[in-house]
Amino acid sequence: MRAPNLAESRIVAVHPTSRGFGFAVFEGPGRLIDWGTRTAPPDRDAPTLDGVGSLIALYQPAAMIVEDPAAPTCRRCPRVKALIGSLCDLAGRSRVRAFPVARTEVTRLFARGQAATKHEIARTIAEHFPELEPRLPPRRKPWMSQDERMSIFDAVAFGLTFFYLQDEPQED
Amino acid sequence: MYHKLENYLRAHRKRSGLTQDDVAFLLGSRSGTKVSRYEQFRRLPTLPTALALEILFDVPGQDLFAGLYQELERTLTRRAEDLIKRLHAQPPNRVTERKLSSLRSVCLPRRKGRRE
Repeated sequence: MRAPNLAESRIVAVHPTSRGFGFAVFEGPGRLIDWGTRTAPPDRDAPTLDGVGSLIALYQPAAMIVEDPAAPTCRRCPRVKALIGSLCDLAGRSRVRAFPVARTEVTRLFARGQAATKHEIARTIAEHFPELEPRLPPRRKPWMSQDERMSIFDAVAFGLTFFYLQDEPQED
Repeated sequence: MYHKLENYLRAHRKRSGLTQDDVAFLLGSRSGTKVSRYEQFRRLPTLPTALALEILFDVPGQDLFAGLYQELERTLTRRAEDLIKRLHAQPPNRVTERKLSSLRSVCLPRRKGRRE
């Protein structure tokens, strides 16, 4: 089902990880009004839920965007998948609609700009929003764990994909 | 269409790469706590602080404090309409006509058009 048109709405995109979450707040696809990361102990969901709750209370968004944990391509760990479900419940209790976006949609959107890897997508985003350039992590080596700043770019990518899906003509 | 946030200080501060402590120093405050309160809409800056923020971020006040500006504009328009009604009840003269002309320009949607 397609969401009501929220192309000019304020939305918050959240990308939870095993160590906290990254977020981005938009007012339309071209206006980023807040972004950042919050850390949380790896085995506790409460700090993430509290942090997202504060964001919702502060910005009163029309929608919250998260990665679709039910998508077959979702490779998040079971705890993070459950956490995404809890975040959607939290949004529902705050009268904010939660929209899951599949990772494949993000990949499809950014493939148009020749950005295939996570780092290339992050670099494309940093070019689009120069204010994020200082937060762009260095390219990850195989022996390195994911930089927590990457969750900001993931959140932005999901947010932009949501706006793109709003504008995309519907196939009949 | 969404309602504007009371202010966009955080967005402009982050865009400029400054920390809350940096902004506090520039405003002559001791710590970033006050800046944090402005950003969370828990405290309104004084007029000198608001003007300093306007200078610092090089953004007009009506954009920096967009939600507050919208709210004040609505309130002022409503009061201007009330005052117009009161003036209409009085016998017309040149001073009243002058006042009505000024108040009508407040009520016109020209401000909305200017922002769009």
